[in-house]
Amino acid sequence: MEISLSQSFLIALAVGLASGSVGAFVVLRRMALVGDALSHVALPGIALALAYEFDPFWGVAVSLIGAAFVVFWLETKTKLPSEALVGLLFTASLAVGILTIPDEEIIHSLFGEFPLMPAYLLMLIVATALIATAFVFFSTRRFAFRIIAPELAEASGVKQTNNLLFLIVFAIVVALGIKLVGTLLMGALTIIPAAIARNVTRGMKAYIVISAVLGMAIAALGVLVAHSFGLLPGPSIILLGTSLFIVSLFWSVKV
Amino acid sequence: MEKDVVLEVKNLSVAFEREAVLRGISFSVKRKEALAIIGPNGAGKTVLFRALLGLVPYEGTIAWADNIRIGYVPQKFMVDRGAPLTVKEFFLLQTEHFWMPQKEFLFHLEHELRLVGLDPIILEKPVGELSGGQLQRLLVSWAMLRHPDVLLFDEPTAGIDVGFEETVYQLIHRVQDERGTAVLLISHDLNFVYRYAQKVLCVNKDMVCHGSPQEVLKPEELARLFGSGKLYLHEETKG
Repeated sequence: MEISLSQSFLIALAVGLASGSVGAFVVLRRMALVGDALSHVALPGIALALAYEFDPFWGVAVSLIGAAFVVFWLETKTKLPSEALVGLLFTASLAVGILTIPDEEIIHSLFGEFPLMPAYLLMLIVATALIATAFVFFSTRRFAFRIIAPELAEASGVKQTNNLLFLIVFAIVVALGIKLVGTLLMGALTIIPAAIARNVTRGMKAYIVISAVLGMAIAALGVLVAHSFGLLPGPSIILLGTSLFIVSLFWSVKV
Repeated sequence: MEKDVVLEVKNLSVAFEREAVLRGISFSVKRKEALAIIGPNGAGKTVLFRALLGLVPYEGTIAWADNIRIGYVPQKFMVDRGAPLTVKEFFLLQTEHFWMPQKEFLFHLEHELRLVGLDPIILEKPVGELSGGQLQRLLVSWAMLRHPDVLLFDEPTAGIDVGFEETVYQLIHRVQDERGTAVLLISHDLNFVYRYAQKVLCVNKDMVCHGSPQEVLKPEELARLFGSGKLYLHEETKG
């Protein structure tokens, strides 16, 4: 296997796993659209990185974590309808990105590519994805508690900071996958596995585990398909996932 | 704080957008005591609970005894019908062992479910598929699971069958006796208040009265609390 493919395959396995686990809570919180738009915020970060010649990964990570704080602030500190503002802010950053990223980079920034990165960065991405996954599983009780019964959670000492923690982990996972899947499509990789898992499960544990495994499988298979047919990895992963979702509708356990 | 006192509230006020919802509420609750909170709709009773739980900002002091465990049964609990969460998992949210529950815990769980008249068979059912009555029983059981020192009940019997109403009251009575649990209960049911509560707190934004049911549940006091409509009806039946 050539280096670029094996790198992509590794990233797909690790980041897919992390996306599936964190995405389970994104869908549970009914913030799929916010999550989807969140990844757009990465574009100005990429533009800055290209202009100042540092690795785009860092630009992406910083802008996404910043966006996580913005979402948290909108959710808790203001009475403004957060979806409208998120739609506006995040789309504006997409516009900024389109205007500031050089033409030859734009397609890959939006839809992903087979990355060729230094070994340290590859290791960093894979390790961070695994740590993020472990953290999500470790925090399942608190995250789920805050989503399902926020007041009972508060009264039981499971505080709102868990929401912020969740958003930050989510932002980090999105940052990890941007290079491979692209800023327009990475949000969808977190949502698709969870949407499928929800169709075929009745309990929380099964839902999260299946979502994580599906995330890994869809991303890894998507990379292989894209490579065999000479396609971009981002769209291949998303279309493969969407096809699986349609199949899952047919044996949905909920009537 | 005096011995046996589990909760002491002094001069509690809550305002939303500068409009007062509660003003100058003071009372205390001892171990084993049942305090009923009565008042008309919109009087701020639920807000009082929310302040006690630290869910809304307030002025004044709310002092709980140290290391106290609080069980709370909310008036309304909405679960998304399609939410992937079984009844067992809903209980597990209270433990540190969500992924690998302990055997004793599951055993205890079945016992507690039977106390409120639920068949342990529902443990594997999604919470969203329960009927209204089952959900109400589940919430009561959920609040009592870890044997709290204080139970906060917000209209535990609103909209449920009469049989369960009696069960809830008997349960409340039993945990008071056996575990020394203090109970704070919002109720519209004056019959219950008379039979089970040692203290009554009447709230209508301000604290209208506070005392034993015999002192408080008199026509004049109820008239002050609920307005003259109540008094009129009362006098009519008398005459």
